[in-house]
Amino acid sequence: MKRTTRLTAALAAVTLAGLLSAGLGAGNREPDASDFRALPPAPASALQISRSQRLSSGRYLSRWTVVRAATAAHARPSASSRVVAELAASAPEGTPNLLTFLQARGGADGAVWVEVRLPVLPNGSVGWVQRRSLGPYSTVDTHLVVDRAQLRATLYRAGQGVFSAPVGIGTAAWPTPAGEFAVRSELSRYASPFYGPISFGTTARSAVLTDWPDGGFVGIHGTDEPWLLPGRVSHGCIRLRNRDILRLEALLPIGTPLTIR
Amino acid sequence: MDGVRNVDELLAAVDRDDAVAEARAQAETTSRQGLLGLTLAGAGAFVLTRVGGAAAAGVSATDVNILNYALTLEYLQASFYTEAERSGALAGKTAQAARVVGATERAHVAAFLKLLGSKAVKRPTFDFQGTTEQQRAFLKTAVALEDLAVAAYKGQAPKLQSNAVLVAAVGIHSVEARHAAWMRALFGVTPAVNAFDQPASRASVGRIVASTQFIVDKPRMRARNKPKFTG
Repeated sequence: MKRTTRLTAALAAVTLAGLLSAGLGAGNREPDASDFRALPPAPASALQISRSQRLSSGRYLSRWTVVRAATAAHARPSASSRVVAELAASAPEGTPNLLTFLQARGGADGAVWVEVRLPVLPNGSVGWVQRRSLGPYSTVDTHLVVDRAQLRATLYRAGQGVFSAPVGIGTAAWPTPAGEFAVRSELSRYASPFYGPISFGTTARSAVLTDWPDGGFVGIHGTDEPWLLPGRVSHGCIRLRNRDILRLEALLPIGTPLTIR
Repeated sequence: MDGVRNVDELLAAVDRDDAVAEARAQAETTSRQGLLGLTLAGAGAFVLTRVGGAAAAGVSATDVNILNYALTLEYLQASFYTEAERSGALAGKTAQAARVVGATERAHVAAFLKLLGSKAVKRPTFDFQGTTEQQRAFLKTAVALEDLAVAAYKGQAPKLQSNAVLVAAVGIHSVEARHAAWMRALFGVTPAVNAFDQPASRASVGRIVASTQFIVDKPRMRARNKPKFTG
């Protein structure tokens, strides 16, 4: 190191020491712990951050989504596999076309594919749809069960029964189909005493009334003939007394899985 | 991978068919309304301008506004990790990180909700478009979201009026920075690149979030049409 460089470095060190002394040691004394004890404490945090929140087991959760853009459902997670259904973006009742999520998987094409229950005949059909054709996921922890033998609908939330009421179902000629479906829409404020004040659309379809307007989808709705309930009285729809359908409306989220057995 | 150094570059790397770039361009020309500084293009806008209602005790309107902005980012992150964990598509160390970080983000959301009470903004509807269902896409998006959160907290901290809120924000900021480093390491990006990190303005954060198109309109599943069910 050259002499001038060493001199410069020494001067810098002396200057730095002087600055530190002036800054830290009031009255030219060495700082000690008492200086730091005198510092005011930090204010308490405005937020009370709790422990980390682990997810529940998800045992009672189910997921649903909607068709974002008209698309095809395939037999396998591949665009080259057989098309099992064409899916419109809207359901016949004018709401987005709801699909129950079953599983997701990466396809050979690198895209994400989702297996869903299809609202088509035969009831119980499933297919694979490209994730990019679907909308956001929603989850519910409810499950509606319609027991055709007992003529009763029961709603479960997180496995616990929260609603139960007698129902009317299809006659022997026009049976309410059995299987796994979903509640996909809610219609209200229409002028039709026959359907009562509230109607829920479902993904279940009558296997016999295929020429019914809009394809013969099964609804869950009120009635203007409550004295017929419980009974086998409908064309396949699930009828509840109006006071029961109003009670159910407050408890039943769209996307709830529907089991008809 | 080390070349990917900031949120913009990461999101550009995620961009498929230039959809993100297009959305961003659209967002940049949109009038600047709302708490994030703009209406988010092509999506359900953040419901973030709400400042009315009962005040969070001892918190100024300015701080409530900033807290709701932070809450929305926490909603975004918490929902992202929750959906990823539920998807079951993640494996190994990535799955473990998603579990831990997701639990933390949910704790942040709970804390904000507790503080803000009735003044808290509602959770938007998120569509993560499959990024929660593929490990590589998950990590890339996680890095982007964490880096964004770190920059956003840094951008707002000097504007907070309450020291108590500032203490809380700084506490969360450092946790978000740890998350960012963790996700970066898992993704194969250098965890700490710069000697000094830059803050991000609210408008900038809003544009970036809009460009992801992760915030969408909630599907309208109710209608007034006359039923045509089988009856």
